[in-house]
Amino acid sequence: MSQPSSTPPTGKPTGDAIQAVQDALATEHAAVWTYGLVSAFLKEQADQTAAGANSHRARRDATERILRDTNAEPVPPAPAYLPPAPVTDAASSIAALVAVEIDGCTAWRGVLDRTEDQDLRRSALDALTSCAVRATRWRKTGGLTPTSLALPGTAVG
Amino acid sequence: MIADSRGPLLNRRRVLLAAAAAPLAVACTTPPPPPPPPDPLAELVVQARADAALATAAGATEVAAARTEHAKLLQAEVDRARPSTPSASAAPSSTPPEQPPGGATPEQVVEALTAARQKGTDLMPTVPVHRAGLLGSVVAGCASLLEAMS
Repeated sequence: MSQPSSTPPTGKPTGDAIQAVQDALATEHAAVWTYGLVSAFLKEQADQTAAGANSHRARRDATERILRDTNAEPVPPAPAYLPPAPVTDAASSIAALVAVEIDGCTAWRGVLDRTEDQDLRRSALDALTSCAVRATRWRKTGGLTPTSLALPGTAVG
Repeated sequence: MIADSRGPLLNRRRVLLAAAAAPLAVACTTPPPPPPPPDPLAELVVQARADAALATAAGATEVAAARTEHAKLLQAEVDRARPSTPSASAAPSSTPPEQPPGGATPEQVVEALTAARQKGTDLMPTVPVHRAGLLGSVVAGCASLLEAMS
């Protein structure tokens, strides 16, 4: 028999926190897919694109491990994702990347809002910060303003 | 026999007296209202306001706006947590905005943002869950501002 979910015996994330991590994993799947989609349009930013894609793949794998450690089945990737606007060139590619990074900020902040587990907090803060930095870098690359996000993970940022 | 029984009797009386007086002594020496420990987020509010002033002086308007927003939201959380202490909520808002230091440089702004990011990261393990999200967004906001300035 499994433990009652309301009493975490080991301090491992449970319930709400697990769902938040699953949501974050879903955004990591979307980010990996989107970086793949846009790479053909961003030849001039190949290094930046590859670095972003690698970071999201590493985060995705680490997040799947976190979920498996809590006996949760990680959500699988969707076959495809719909960017907020059609991706047809470099500018729309950058816009799509900014969008997935901002989605990542929101999802990882959602994890911080729901867990006291220190390891998970550390991962979530690191992921939130990384997404915010990449969103800023892409905005800078695309000449978009404002460049920075005041409060990543919130409607303000 | 009598002498034997007086010793313990006196001792017991002394003990009872001492026991009765002890709480009085404690009550008299305890400082009246134990001041609540300072809210750790209050320090971040001060830091955010100072950064905003510094950024304004350095002409970094995006940083100034973002750090002002950080100060506002952090102060709102400090006030929410301790609405009964007027000094905590009234004092900072009635304080005139800090005088922008003359001749601030972008390097100083970068230094201040780096410190703010570190301070928030260090605080993260200690905050309750309802503050972790806000703190995380402030830390990530500082990281974003640093990236924008790089």
